[in-house]
Amino acid sequence: MTDAFLASAATLSHAAVLPSVTTLLGILGDPTVLTAAGDGPSLPAPQVAIFPLLIPLATAICTLLVRRSGRAQRAVSVLGAIGYLATVGALYAAVAARGTIVYQLSDWQAPFGITVVADPLATFMLAFAAPLSLAAVVFAVLYVDPFGQQLSYHPLYHFMMVGVTGSFLTGDVFNLFVWFEVMLLSSYVLVAFYSGPEHTRAALSYAVLNLVGSAVMLVAIGGLYSTTGTLNMADMARRLADPGAYGIDPVPVLGLSAVLFAVFALKAGLAPFQFWVPAAYRAAPAPVAAMLAGVVKKVGIYAIIRLYFGVFAAAALPAGLSLPGFSGTSFLSFYGPVLFCMAVASILVGGIGAISQEGLDGLLAHSSIGQIGFVTLPLAVGATVPGVRPLAVAAALVYALNHAIAKVLLFLVSGTIEDVTGTVRFRDLGGIAARAPVLGGSFLLGALALIGIPPLSGFFAKLLVFDTSATAIATGANGASVALAIGLFGAILTIAYFTRAWTRGFWGPPGRAIERWGTSGGRAGEDDPTTGTTTPATDGGTPEAPGTSASSDRDAADEDAVTDGNAAESGSATGGGNVAESGDTDGPTIESVGPSAALVSVVALVAVSLLVVGLGFDPVMDAAMDAAGAALDRESYVRAVLGGRGE
Amino acid sequence: MTQFVLAAVLGALFALGTFLLLRRDVVRVVWGVVIISQAANVYLVTMGGLSGVAPIVPGHGEGVAATAVTDPLVQALVLTAIVISLGTTAFVLVLTYRVYEEHGTIDLLDLGIDRGGAGDVDESAGGAGPLSADGGRADEVGRNEGKSADGRRDGEANADD
Repeated sequence: MTDAFLASAATLSHAAVLPSVTTLLGILGDPTVLTAAGDGPSLPAPQVAIFPLLIPLATAICTLLVRRSGRAQRAVSVLGAIGYLATVGALYAAVAARGTIVYQLSDWQAPFGITVVADPLATFMLAFAAPLSLAAVVFAVLYVDPFGQQLSYHPLYHFMMVGVTGSFLTGDVFNLFVWFEVMLLSSYVLVAFYSGPEHTRAALSYAVLNLVGSAVMLVAIGGLYSTTGTLNMADMARRLADPGAYGIDPVPVLGLSAVLFAVFALKAGLAPFQFWVPAAYRAAPAPVAAMLAGVVKKVGIYAIIRLYFGVFAAAALPAGLSLPGFSGTSFLSFYGPVLFCMAVASILVGGIGAISQEGLDGLLAHSSIGQIGFVTLPLAVGATVPGVRPLAVAAALVYALNHAIAKVLLFLVSGTIEDVTGTVRFRDLGGIAARAPVLGGSFLLGALALIGIPPLSGFFAKLLVFDTSATAIATGANGASVALAIGLFGAILTIAYFTRAWTRGFWGPPGRAIERWGTSGGRAGEDDPTTGTTTPATDGGTPEAPGTSASSDRDAADEDAVTDGNAAESGSATGGGNVAESGDTDGPTIESVGPSAALVSVVALVAVSLLVVGLGFDPVMDAAMDAAGAALDRESYVRAVLGGRGE
Repeated sequence: MTQFVLAAVLGALFALGTFLLLRRDVVRVVWGVVIISQAANVYLVTMGGLSGVAPIVPGHGEGVAATAVTDPLVQALVLTAIVISLGTTAFVLVLTYRVYEEHGTIDLLDLGIDRGGAGDVDESAGGAGPLSADGGRADEVGRNEGKSADGRRDGEANADD
């Protein structure tokens, strides 16, 4: 009980930590210090772990302070996102060089104080969150209306990133709850951002659902504290590994961990808890929807990997599972079938739901339910078959990475289309590929990445998911063939709904909303043949070569359009980059509508990153295997955090 | 004895919260959320154990046996949880008001119907709206719809009287 007393003193000292954090913010707010923080390796070892938390926090507060000047606020926001990327890069390099970095806040040692743990798993997640966050910030600066940006967008966005980062870095179950709340509280407001009827309604159900989820999480955490006597993840893993010595009964721990699991499944949008996803993603502004689908969802996946494959996997039920349909004594042999059912249901619900959608945003939201199923599928196989566990976790991580990039890209494309036309309903769309080849090509790349076509990152992600099942079958676990079959069926569903989106939205005659896209009608007609030939080629044969060449030279053309046509800011015709110059001569009859070149270049950059990750996949795979190793190597995690102390 | 009382109170609170959560009235739903999160807080305090005195001891607690005080950690946790639920409750209440402004009702079933109606309006008026130059957002159409629904609602209320 002295432990408990000390621990309480530590928790109370958290309050004392906050002022010191705010004094730090004053220093960090200065952009010069931000860049200095980017010279990561020069930073002292433990502190480098806390900087990815402080930078977005400082940015959020600074954007509040300079909100009177919209331009300064946008500059601070973008600089903050760059600084965040730099500190995450520094942390990643430091962890890669020196292994797990543990930072004990206020030097209160691990089981009692707040611990920030940066291990390869956490840095893997951060490493894709940070660049996508930068892309989303730049996109938002160009996309969200200036009044909305000035009012609340930037502080909320960066507070959300604080919560995301904290969730990845915390080494403490209760702090996981706190960071979840930080993340969710901002995302509630961001979902309600436009405050229209459907937005408020979506935000209401999103908020109420997550508040109930938070209460349930608190109950589970309280129960875990009562049964295991600790909240620190490493300490909990150590105690669960030797329940007799600490007087722990594993049976209630299993039940409580299952309650907690439901909360993580809710955050990740796994099948029985997926119903909040479509409305919330459709209501949120496009860059926020992109981050919610791409990164915030992955926090739930990360928590499942960290807690269930790292911490609770230490425990075993001596008497075995007495539930029907379950066998084995490990906690993971309970979660294997549970994860499997959720993954299968997610893939089916998401895939079939996406096929029947009437709009691009709804399709993408349902698609993200299905894709999270794909992330969970290897986890289910890995939980059941211990032999493939490292491969399974790596497969889930690579799939999460691929889905994050691709879904951010697709939501940004959807946002760009909505920015121009005001709608993303398929019946109003059509022919975008001819009018805006870069945008169409980017969408195609994102769709192909989720389908899993070779040179893109999605191919390796899908390959690893299937490889996990195949390896499990090879080691004698024949049940994994069901996972393989479901994976194949899900892949077919993915092809089906993206084909539908492509043919209805991007091919064919221009829809009602697209007709005025580009310059005038005659000009667009003359533009059609040239681009019309490139796009089928992109779809048909080798997809990558035409796609990239098209996007790179269109990109260049777009930049020309910016330089010579910046007077007509949002109306700068990028419908066909090469006709933009001549298009300036006879624009006036019909007002020309087209995506802003800057928005399109952000989208194109994200699209190119998909290709880059796919072509340079070796280091990504190594990083994922490292992360999986770190997630499963309980002993070294416990040793790094507790360092032989704690008793 | 205390355990049984607390268990009964917790059960009652969770039951009441769940009951309110399933009501049609948004304000009651919010009440339900608040009660459930308070029940979670009570539960958390209970998890610290019910024996011992309050963990307020003189000095650094040298002369006090460690078992004489209840576990203070859960109380610190509950403080954090209360602060968080203060923020979320305030937000959800504001959101409820906003929902009322947008939809003219706080009946959850009417919200669904209202949204369908607004969607129809988007389809007819949206053709002109979103395409008009700077992409007049569909929200505005929806907002007007919300206002008119508001008026309708008032009319109904009067008729009811």
